[in-house]
Amino acid sequence: MAVLAQQIVNGLVLGALIGLIALGYTMVYGIIQLINFAHGEVFMVGAFGAHFLARYVLPEDVRWYVALPAMCLAAVAVSIGVAVAMERLAYRPLIGAHRLAPLITALGVSILLQEVVRVFYPGATAPLAFPRMFVEGHLAIGPVTILWTGVLALAVAPLLAAALHIYVERSRLGRAMRATAQDPDTARLMGISPNRVTLATFVIGAGLAGVGAVLYGIHYTQIDTAIGFQNGIFAFTAAVLGGIGSIRGAMLGAFCIGLVKSLAGQYVWGGVQYDYVWVFVLLILVLMFRPQGFLGRPEGMRA
Amino acid sequence: MLVGALLPWASTVLPGGAYPDRATLQFFDAPHLVSGFRLHLVLLGVLAALLSRARKPAGIGVAVIALVHMGFLIGLGAPSIGGPVALAGGLLLMWPGLTAPAPELKPPGPAVARLVLLVAFAALVWLVSETLTAGGQSRATNPYGGAEFLAFCGLVLALACALSAYGVLAWLAALTDRHRFFAFSVMLVCALALPFTDAGTGYWMTVASTIGVYAATAIGLNIVVGLAGLLDLGYVAFLGIGAFTAANLAHVVPFPVAALAGTATAGILGIVVGAPTLRVRGDYLAIVTLAFGEIFFRAAQNNIGGLTGGANSIPGIPPISMFGHAFDKPLGVLPAGSLYYAVTVVMVAVAMVMLVNLRHSRTGRAWAAIREDEDVARAMGVRTGRAKILAFLVGSMMAGLAGAVFAHKLGTVGYESFDFSESVTLLAAVVLGGMGTVPGAVVGASLLFVLPEKLREFSDYRLMLFGLALILIMRFRPRGLVSS
Repeated sequence: MAVLAQQIVNGLVLGALIGLIALGYTMVYGIIQLINFAHGEVFMVGAFGAHFLARYVLPEDVRWYVALPAMCLAAVAVSIGVAVAMERLAYRPLIGAHRLAPLITALGVSILLQEVVRVFYPGATAPLAFPRMFVEGHLAIGPVTILWTGVLALAVAPLLAAALHIYVERSRLGRAMRATAQDPDTARLMGISPNRVTLATFVIGAGLAGVGAVLYGIHYTQIDTAIGFQNGIFAFTAAVLGGIGSIRGAMLGAFCIGLVKSLAGQYVWGGVQYDYVWVFVLLILVLMFRPQGFLGRPEGMRA
Repeated sequence: MLVGALLPWASTVLPGGAYPDRATLQFFDAPHLVSGFRLHLVLLGVLAALLSRARKPAGIGVAVIALVHMGFLIGLGAPSIGGPVALAGGLLLMWPGLTAPAPELKPPGPAVARLVLLVAFAALVWLVSETLTAGGQSRATNPYGGAEFLAFCGLVLALACALSAYGVLAWLAALTDRHRFFAFSVMLVCALALPFTDAGTGYWMTVASTIGVYAATAIGLNIVVGLAGLLDLGYVAFLGIGAFTAANLAHVVPFPVAALAGTATAGILGIVVGAPTLRVRGDYLAIVTLAFGEIFFRAAQNNIGGLTGGANSIPGIPPISMFGHAFDKPLGVLPAGSLYYAVTVVMVAVAMVMLVNLRHSRTGRAWAAIREDEDVARAMGVRTGRAKILAFLVGSMMAGLAGAVFAHKLGTVGYESFDFSESVTLLAAVVLGGMGTVPGAVVGASLLFVLPEKLREFSDYRLMLFGLALILIMRFRPRGLVSS
């Protein structure tokens, strides 16, 4: 029982972190129907940006409550920078191009970012230790323990998702986003610039991924160039599972994915070596039998 | 204009003759290098002087060679004196380049056409052999091999551009198309003659047959992606299935049976992977295939059912042995590995014939319709489900067969050979060569698998460059480099 409860908690923490990436997927897809394959890499470069700041810029004896916000800012800045460059240089020129072009481009961007970081970031050919910039120790509830970093992730992720939800529902830009998602042509007639909305979507998604990257780093205390790809796939699965285009759905899906991974690693045949596989099996099943996900509306034909 | 073009040529080639004198002689002191890139520069200079249309291509070639050498010299920490001069010459040659359209050449009679094709393909084989061997095989004997190879590529590029500027390439393509069967047989014979050229050593045969395996796989992927428009991101799994099947059966049954089994297993899995295509499309389909690929990779990594050897891989796979002759031994005058090379050439040839025939068949037209618009295709009476499954079946069987040869050729199969980056490389090969084109996949695969072999210095940048190539090609030449 204790093991089960512990695995559920572990799964929820992973889910919270994945959720922050999944929000980016779901928003971009909602607006321009592009699976931004490289969104996982945006998360990854954010983690490396924060690592860079903590390792090379900040003094050794800095307190965590100074360092953590600074690292978040660095991660968000790097992530947004990369995402904007990506949107402007790689995706925007492809409007109206061959059907496979955006996806192949996204794949190229993903590989390029991974390799650039791996080759040029000092020491990135091997996993890097991420600075522990938060309260050490853990919270114990009966037999279940959660690292304080996990508690932080569980608190921050839903909060940010809720804030995003409110922003999209209430703000002027949010309304423009929803309008563009529904019907880009009519939105344009109403005086909304789709380019601006798209860029804003990339920026918001990248910002959330940047925060997620720092939370990920301090919780798992290790980063490498593959975290983007792997967690990106998890997050994509979560976004589809929850209903791509839906903000609440993305968080819900992310928690499900986190639970599936941690529980399958504990209880299903094959153990942790195959936990990754079960997420993919779930992904395939969802795409085949309920591509609209939990909260998405069933769509007709989608190219 | 002629004088304007001559001047930079003179300034390039005359000092170019003594080009490595000061800056380079102490580094490039191997005797054969004197005839290497300097010869290329002189040749290009002559070309530019004699033929007006070839001036711009020659300029490109000169610039490439100059850049390569400057890059390498700077990498070695030496100043380059000849480099900037040559580069300036190359750029000047490109400056007043003629932009007139290439002239249309009339097709000659059948007899002449055949002779021309024969010569053209023989020249092609000679070129391939020269390209393969340019720069030597070992970094120990020639540390500048990479530079030499790239410089040679610059020359080849310039020649190709020059031929294209005179409309010769288009003319040859038209001839090939007209005498398809003859051209194909000549090409096959010429390809089989490669072991008799300079490249006829065990090492180059091994390299060439590895390229052959990947080229055949890339053609299979081209059927799925290029013809049917189904983006498969886990394609290398089928190569793996074929390889592991053959590896497990290698000690039990002769090669043809093992190859057949590998092909069949991969085909069955192809149908399994293809089944979701009935419900999922576009981007979602790509993700499903990616998921299948990752599941295969994880399973292979964890030695599922004891079939893949896990981290230890499967060692000791015997070479193909037929008619009492092991394929990894030399045969008569032919170097070791020639037989594997022949096997892969035949395999690639079969795949090409298949691709061409499929493309023009009823199924191929159905695929084209699905690729352009699935709903319309269905409305026009195309049985889209069957056609899509068929694309996956054919593509996966091709990869399975290639995998079986791969396993026997290498003698060992491990899961690392089938990770996501290999799928990306294969996709890059197809995209680079041009989706749906016949020579595209072969050219792409040759490029992507020769370059790393030649440029060990750049092995770290390999995937980075592929990623960049994917982005740039989608942006500027979405139909690939080869297709016009």
